[in-house]
Amino acid sequence: MKLSVLSIVVPGSAQRYFYKFLLVMKITTLLLIIALVHASAASLSQVRLSEKNTSLEKVLNSIEKQTGTSFFYDRKDIRDIHISIHVNNVSLKEALDKCLGDLPLTYDIKDNTVFLSKKVTPLLDKVIPAFKAIDVHGRVIDEKGQPLPGVTIKIKDGSHMVMTDSKGEFNLKQVGDKDIIVISSIGFASRQLNVATELGNIVLIVNSSKLDEIHVIAYGTESSRYATGSTASVSAADIAKQPITNALMALEGQVPGLVVTPSSGAPGASVQIQIRGQNSLQNSLTNAGKPYDQPLFIVDGVPFAPQNNQINKLGSLANNFSNFNTFDTFGGLSPFNSINPADIESITILKDADATSIYGTQGANGVILITTKKGQAGKTRVETSVNSGVNVNTRQVQMLNTQQYIQLRNEAFKNDGLTPNNIPSDPAYAPDLFVFDQHKNTDWFKQFLGKTSNNTDVHASLSGGSLANTFIISTGYTRADYNFPGNFGEKRLTLHSGFHHKSADSKLIVDFTTDYGYDHNNSAGDPSLTKAVLAPPNLPDLINPAGNLVWNYKGVDLNSYQYYSYLKQVSNLQTYNLNNSLRLGYQLFRDLKIGIGMGYSRLTTNESSLNPASSQNPQYASAYASFANSGFQTINIEPQLDYHHFFGNNELSFLVGGTYKKELNDNTQMQGYNYTDDAFLGSISGAGTIFASATNNIYKYVGGFTRLKYVYDQKYIINLTGSRNGSSNFGPGKQFGFFGSVGLGWIFSQETAFNKAPPFISYGKLSGNYGTSGSDGIGSYQYQAFWQPVSSVSPFQGIRPYKPLNLYNPDYSWDTKKALNIALDLGFFHDRILFKATYYENKTSNQLINYILPSQTGFNAVLQNFNATVQNKGLEFTLTANTIAAKEFSWNTTFNISGNRNKLLAFPGLAESPYATIYTIGKPVSEINGYKYKDVNPTTGVFEFYTVNGAVTSSPTYGTTAQGGDLVPIADNQPKFTGGLGNTLTYKNFSLYFFFQFSKQTSVNYLASIYSQNAIPGTLTNEPVAILDHWKNPGDISSIQRLTATTYSDAAAAAYSFLQSSGAYSDASYIRLKTLACSYTLPGTVQKALKLSNCHFYINAQNLLTITGFKLGDPELPGGLFSFPLQRTIVFGLSADF
Amino acid sequence: MYIQNLKSLALIVLLTALSFSCKKLIEIPANPSDKIPTQLVFADSADVMSAVTGIYNGFNAAGTVGIHSGAITRSTGLTGDELTPSQVGDPIATQLYQNAILPTNSITANLWSSAYIMSGLYQINVCLEQIPGSKALSPSLKNQLIGEIKVDRALYYFNLVNLFGPVPLVTSSDYSMTKSLPRASIDDIYKQIITDLTDAQKLLNPAYSSPGRARPNLYTAEALLAKVYLYRGQWASAEIAATSVISSGQYSLNKDLNTVFQDGSSEAIWQLPAIGPYNQTAEAQIFVPYASSAVPTFLISPALLNTFEPGDMRRTNWIGINPISDGKGSSVPYYYPAKYKNRNLNDQPAEDYMIFRLAEIYLIRAEAQAEQGKTTAALADLNQVRNRAGLPNSPATGTTTLLSAIMHERRTELFCEWGNRWYDLKRTGTIDAVLGAEKPTWKPTQALYPVPLAEIQSNPFLKQNPGY
Repeated sequence: MKLSVLSIVVPGSAQRYFYKFLLVMKITTLLLIIALVHASAASLSQVRLSEKNTSLEKVLNSIEKQTGTSFFYDRKDIRDIHISIHVNNVSLKEALDKCLGDLPLTYDIKDNTVFLSKKVTPLLDKVIPAFKAIDVHGRVIDEKGQPLPGVTIKIKDGSHMVMTDSKGEFNLKQVGDKDIIVISSIGFASRQLNVATELGNIVLIVNSSKLDEIHVIAYGTESSRYATGSTASVSAADIAKQPITNALMALEGQVPGLVVTPSSGAPGASVQIQIRGQNSLQNSLTNAGKPYDQPLFIVDGVPFAPQNNQINKLGSLANNFSNFNTFDTFGGLSPFNSINPADIESITILKDADATSIYGTQGANGVILITTKKGQAGKTRVETSVNSGVNVNTRQVQMLNTQQYIQLRNEAFKNDGLTPNNIPSDPAYAPDLFVFDQHKNTDWFKQFLGKTSNNTDVHASLSGGSLANTFIISTGYTRADYNFPGNFGEKRLTLHSGFHHKSADSKLIVDFTTDYGYDHNNSAGDPSLTKAVLAPPNLPDLINPAGNLVWNYKGVDLNSYQYYSYLKQVSNLQTYNLNNSLRLGYQLFRDLKIGIGMGYSRLTTNESSLNPASSQNPQYASAYASFANSGFQTINIEPQLDYHHFFGNNELSFLVGGTYKKELNDNTQMQGYNYTDDAFLGSISGAGTIFASATNNIYKYVGGFTRLKYVYDQKYIINLTGSRNGSSNFGPGKQFGFFGSVGLGWIFSQETAFNKAPPFISYGKLSGNYGTSGSDGIGSYQYQAFWQPVSSVSPFQGIRPYKPLNLYNPDYSWDTKKALNIALDLGFFHDRILFKATYYENKTSNQLINYILPSQTGFNAVLQNFNATVQNKGLEFTLTANTIAAKEFSWNTTFNISGNRNKLLAFPGLAESPYATIYTIGKPVSEINGYKYKDVNPTTGVFEFYTVNGAVTSSPTYGTTAQGGDLVPIADNQPKFTGGLGNTLTYKNFSLYFFFQFSKQTSVNYLASIYSQNAIPGTLTNEPVAILDHWKNPGDISSIQRLTATTYSDAAAAAYSFLQSSGAYSDASYIRLKTLACSYTLPGTVQKALKLSNCHFYINAQNLLTITGFKLGDPELPGGLFSFPLQRTIVFGLSADF
Repeated sequence: MYIQNLKSLALIVLLTALSFSCKKLIEIPANPSDKIPTQLVFADSADVMSAVTGIYNGFNAAGTVGIHSGAITRSTGLTGDELTPSQVGDPIATQLYQNAILPTNSITANLWSSAYIMSGLYQINVCLEQIPGSKALSPSLKNQLIGEIKVDRALYYFNLVNLFGPVPLVTSSDYSMTKSLPRASIDDIYKQIITDLTDAQKLLNPAYSSPGRARPNLYTAEALLAKVYLYRGQWASAEIAATSVISSGQYSLNKDLNTVFQDGSSEAIWQLPAIGPYNQTAEAQIFVPYASSAVPTFLISPALLNTFEPGDMRRTNWIGINPISDGKGSSVPYYYPAKYKNRNLNDQPAEDYMIFRLAEIYLIRAEAQAEQGKTTAALADLNQVRNRAGLPNSPATGTTTLLSAIMHERRTELFCEWGNRWYDLKRTGTIDAVLGAEKPTWKPTQALYPVPLAEIQSNPFLKQNPGY
């Protein structure tokens, strides 16, 4: 299809533009927006023509057919022109030269496209005879016909240089007629042309170098080439290869400086994201309260309403039951499940002050920008993809069988000097040895976590439109099942759409995106379910043949083993997510744009947790249910003014804008008790007693920001940002603050002196920046002392009781992060290999924390600023290489590695503070204090530790050295370095991608799992087979101490100390084949026959292979031997476009 | 020109928007709809009543186990000679039973923290600071509220000092002052308790200020005062306070032992309604097994079981039995405390959580009188309690035998109730002899619980008790 649209140019109103106006009128006919004609791959063909007095159009059509070239022209230019021509096997150029002959037409060939236009003779040229020195005019456009401003036009000898204006036009005065003009722009391949008075439309083709890829940054876009800040981007292609349901998981190992930690392998489970280390101190004495610095998440310019917080208020299987030394605030269900990864165009991670200062008090922990897919102009296309596959455990744990188990129990009793008996209150009570079947054997791990579960994902999108109006509509359905018994899973339905409009005069731009997601997660409501794996292998059947729960076996009460009851206690979470984003832009003057972004993000949840009487011990069965509704909302309005000006070889851009953000968070919960019948459980109406409570929160943020970027001669870059903002989270007089950054860059490869450098170095940049950002994420209203009605009880004598919520401290403000970032960028072999090295050093001081208090004050903590300083510094390296780019074979590699070093620099009065046993100055805040483990005493068979004086004991003393205790720093929980290596190989129609992710780290080991959760080996609980290697007789050397059947023997006490010792930590480094993606694209002929395009079959696999020295369990989920394991996923799929 | 004007206008609007008073833009309502600040609470009489009611809710009569909701009974029962844990008990409880409590023990840590935190002493102190200045209350209501809150504070400190010995004496809500308070002397704590109670005596009326006997009246203050004087060996004062309660005529011993702990019990002096999801007392949920086939978590110790005289109806009425199969065809009885019998919401009739009852006051007065040589009067009070339990009059004669008869009676009447046995062993100095005989590893330092580690960590001015 061919379109000929005359573009309308509205002339400037000012007198000084009059000349320009005339010129514009004259060349109006050249300003065409023409649709693309698809080309076949035959552009090298020779042309053969034999026509007599044929219309030019027909001739051109014939050339088009023979060569596969596309023609751009305005039909009225060639109307009524007839020619005669006879050529045989000539090139396209020769054919065209011959065709056009003396006609008033000129042409330009770029790749497969011929641009045909009328020769223009400006009015002035008609009266002024041609000089040797001529003026050159032209217009630079991209492949879509859009004008390109800011393009450098210079004479090859460097004598003249100008830049194109906002319409892409330029005038180069007094140029020699033999000169060569070089046209270059960021992100585009340079072109060289011979001088001519009128060059017409010059098309620049986008440069394929990664260096020039445009990515999203705060309030704009940039290319890496001229960036002074530290940002990284993950593209839709990187995401598509991974069979994941949560987009955050797609970031693992892809971005240096970003640590991604899954909280469990359960469908929908939370994923923690941390950029460049932990900045803040913990707010409680136990690790359970350890905060995890979360970056700010923005979707299409709108802060994602729930951020990365757990969204379920009721219990869920995904919640962590207190695993030893894991982050307990971390767990639950992730809000990102309601966004379909297939609708994401890119995820950009902003890491340093240069990139985040503009976000003020929201930016201290970094910013993650998620951009959804936009429509593409052209033929209306339907893209579809279907895949389905299976999940299994990454690492199955082999548990003891009954024979081994019984042997273990008997040995444990013998060690304790006890004779097992059948007296329920006796310490040596052993129903497993006396009452349970001695030959029955059940692998409870397999039974509860060993199931293979299914995965299905369907996605379809419709997109197209004209250049002025594009659209995309896409929809997806995803289902992932839990791999324990029963019909549990996570289902997601999403609808995404995007509309783009550009007014006829190109001045008004409208972008509207809306994203809707529905997600339903149903699971067993209690994480204790996974403790089923610890059940004795000879435990009687827990369900009878009729499917009812068994509560008693030969007089033994099975209440504490009834794990199937959890399967009948279903928890449902329905999430409704809506993200709307509207951006309006208007070009006020040539270089000045005014715009506004508006957005609304809302995530609503609807939860229920049902406990039918049939799931409970019939002797005290009482049906009850909980319901919760939560709403997270963000409204933001961001006006901005954008000035972009080129003069000489200077490029100046200036941004000034404002932000207004309002966040609302509300939650209502109801508990219904005393249901008369299980059938009523789904509704609160059937409850005999109802308790209800609600919370409301409001947060407002306002900011003014500015960014000034100046690039001189494509060599020197300066980038200044500033932001003044206020947060309603702070008390009167403490609300406003100023943040800013200075960034400098020097592209030394542009220096003349650099021409002497080895020719394979094509790019070199040194950049650095320094700046501040803050954090205010502490919740609303904390600066007042509040009281709240207690709603979980009936009124006390008709009066609703109140309880105090917090201590009174109005005098706190944001904490301040000062960040330094220095980077070296190098490009080799025409930027086909790119290398980047970054060093950063961040210091967060004036910490805003919940400072720990003794309970005698009434609360365990008070929110205050505390002048401790935490430093994070590190190195990041990235390498991308387009090693082979042959016609049939290509090979691309990406590699990144980064390491963060955390250090507590200052903590006034640490020794006398509640933090004395937690932190050590000069050590990381992630360092664990514990006892130095020795080994299992070969004589006694009990764990031993070193006291601070070097003596050996089985019962070390709690407390720091100063407090007379034996605690010393024993292990650092943060990874030493992490990274990823990806390779993409394509050969003809085959494509193979494999991505290795690695981490060098220390973590709690399987022994910590065994000795935690009251699962001491030898007691009434099963163990992994690894336990068989324990101390048995004097003289044995083993890493596992002697068995004990009681929870109060000396061995049990030593086990408790062991958990706090270095023995509970081991190296948990691993290299994991995170992603393997193979695809086969159907041959073009087959696709054509089927009327398809881009049709390929694929197999994608996640977590396929792990290389690790970690003994038991998954090193990526350490300490979670008995929690929901990570999954290995393999999917088979087909995708095609129509 | 028109277009230019429009552009200028747009610019002006934008710049105005940018320079708009930012403070206005981040204004949020003074308080959210689910909570109100302190100054508003005490400016309204209904809110004040709610704040005071929160103190009683903080006792958690039906909620989680806290210092005033069963934790004292459970802990002292284990560390003393009343309870033994069954095998299904947890290692934390085992530490208590073996008197080898670690400073990290979560049960003792909770005893300490649940006394101070939020709805405990903190809320009490805020109310005592704010109510006198409140313009929303009449002087008589102020007196009533201050009086009863002082009784509450006295009860907290009475239990804390008996469990831990010296504790921080916090009488303010200002954390900057209280966060580094060291432990006060036992004498200073008792001085504060007695001051609070004698103040309350002046402020409170003989009548209860609300339905039932949920909130302290004059006699509640005097009942606690009598107990405090008894513990301090101020026999005459103890007798006067106890007499005031007994002769008020408001209280009488229930004839039926099974009704003593029920709602509306006639011997109740202070009895909190159990309100929570299951509307039953926390103690019933601790002690009563969830099923008749289940082994009770805590068993009555053989020593306690054997101390009952033949015919003592308290052994049959206040101790429950679960017969458990021994796997060989016969069943073995397991005994558990059953003063409170109702575990679940549906159980009837309603039980309230008893803090003070008349039987204890008789025994307090009997002991105070015996110590002063008033043996006849003492014997009369003692027999009131014995007769109600179906026992004949005590044969005791002479101060020593009478005192030992009273101690025996205290053991059988007040078993598994508010730590009376543990406290009695300590205050009479008999703990080492009694528990030394019962528990081979007994050490005198174990009479005090350790200061929880978390408290010492977060307040370095706190020093640990000896032996820990």
